[in-house]
Amino acid sequence: MTNACPRSFEVEALHNGRLSGTERASFERHLANCGLCSREARALAALGDALRDGVPAPADELHVRRERTRLLAEFDRGFLAERGAWFRRGVAGALVLVAAAALAVTLFVVVRSRPVPPPSARTNTVVNATNDAVWSRRLGERWEAIVLERGELEIEVRREKGWKALRVELPDGELEDEGTIFTVSVYAGRTTRVTVREGSVSLRLRGQPPTHIAAGESWNAAPHPLPPSASSRIESSTSSERVERPRDAALSAPGRPAPAPTPASSAPPASSVPNASPVVPSASAQTAAASAASDDFRAAVASYNRGSHAEAAVLLARFLARYPGDARGEDASYLRVLAFRKIGDEASRRRAAADYLRRYPSGFRRSEVEALLR
Amino acid sequence: MNRPRANSAEVRALSDAELMAALAAGDLGALGSLYDRYHESVRRFVARVTSDAEDVDDLVHATFLTAAGSAARYDGRAVGRAWLMGIAVRLVRRRRHALGRFFTLLSSLRMVGRTSHDPRSSLHAQSDLERALARLSEPKRMAILLAEVEGLSCPEIAEALGVPVGTVWTRLHAARRELRRALEGGE
Repeated sequence: MTNACPRSFEVEALHNGRLSGTERASFERHLANCGLCSREARALAALGDALRDGVPAPADELHVRRERTRLLAEFDRGFLAERGAWFRRGVAGALVLVAAAALAVTLFVVVRSRPVPPPSARTNTVVNATNDAVWSRRLGERWEAIVLERGELEIEVRREKGWKALRVELPDGELEDEGTIFTVSVYAGRTTRVTVREGSVSLRLRGQPPTHIAAGESWNAAPHPLPPSASSRIESSTSSERVERPRDAALSAPGRPAPAPTPASSAPPASSVPNASPVVPSASAQTAAASAASDDFRAAVASYNRGSHAEAAVLLARFLARYPGDARGEDASYLRVLAFRKIGDEASRRRAAADYLRRYPSGFRRSEVEALLR
Repeated sequence: MNRPRANSAEVRALSDAELMAALAAGDLGALGSLYDRYHESVRRFVARVTSDAEDVDDLVHATFLTAAGSAARYDGRAVGRAWLMGIAVRLVRRRRHALGRFFTLLSSLRMVGRTSHDPRSSLHAQSDLERALARLSEPKRMAILLAEVEGLSCPEIAEALGVPVGTVWTRLHAARRELRRALEGGE
């Protein structure tokens, strides 16, 4: 591209921020009167706009939370101490790399002829599905994802060394296994229930803070009518009555003795799961109350998400007071801490943080809240 | 591991330098705040500089972990984002040259197929501009993205890339010329 103006080289200099003071003022006066330089300036600006327009879409909120959790967990495990030592080894590290390269070549020659099992054979996750379940499985080199579109799955993760945590993709979020046996139900595009028998899971639904569900606990969305085909597997239980019981025999893996059903209770089994988030006491008569709790929680979260943090703090406090046994209590308590931080009300934030730690001394976000208190 | 905790009561209001100081003291909240503050920028940059979607998460993760490990050496001169971009640049270069690529090549030669891709993101160029951007050399692509998308100044880019500022000017000029030529050529 040719440009006859002798000062055209200054267009890019101005764009790069290299001109200042009198030089800048002088060229800006020139720019106002030079068609060629003006056109060049517009072309540079347009290229910048196009590059900015082409940025990839931001990562999914759930993915960001998962990666953030992974980062903090690794930092807290003292990863840095190990890595710092590794980086300081310098020459020794280079020698290790060379040795590893030699080993890799040897392995390549030795292993190449061995048959490699197909990806489907490299997982020990056992999945039992209801008749109406629609689901699929994906395997990567270092991850496994189960996609549940509808129905109910009972999933047992038999963890292999080096295998990453299993992730269950839901229509409205995701659930990450932390070494467990659990059941998850999805209907009409919504996650309706998660029951954990062993281990724990982290449930992350869009627009809501993550929920940690430990062994013996259940999480329920607002009551959702189950289709007739599903009730045949769940048999005598309904979502409103079986919130606290371990999974019944209908979905036990072959060869495994079914868990003995425990009587439904209107009170959460706090003694068996110390310091855990209380589950919603449920009975068919309390359907309306559970729906109201969900509406109130959603309203509080919506206020937070749209930036009305003061309103959110009030709504969350009201939610905690009205529904002390709700499984979302820990989420609400934590979100309240964040709301005060957003507002800049330090005194209220500290009180909210102390309240969280008092309610949930072993809570999922204990370490983060403790950091906010110091 | 007992880690001394700095006073992180006002982590969110801290400057980048103060955040680094808290992070150097092992403050978990400071790392979370740093991530919240800059993860989008780092991811955005790494996603367009690399060619493998599956590398992006690992590179972003490694960037922040490296930042945490180097926090004690942060001298406060650079804006936190520019400093993080510098770490990301070095990790991208290292990833390209590292032995890990050799193992990846081994895996592909052993016919262990990647039968499924993590569906979270796709980095395949869709537009003419993205294709032209992908054809730039890595140094030019880094420079133009840091300048035009991340808004770093030329001195900040020079520090991030570890080159003289004059080299940055040259790379920017060449990148713009090549991109405009590719777009005007009508690909």
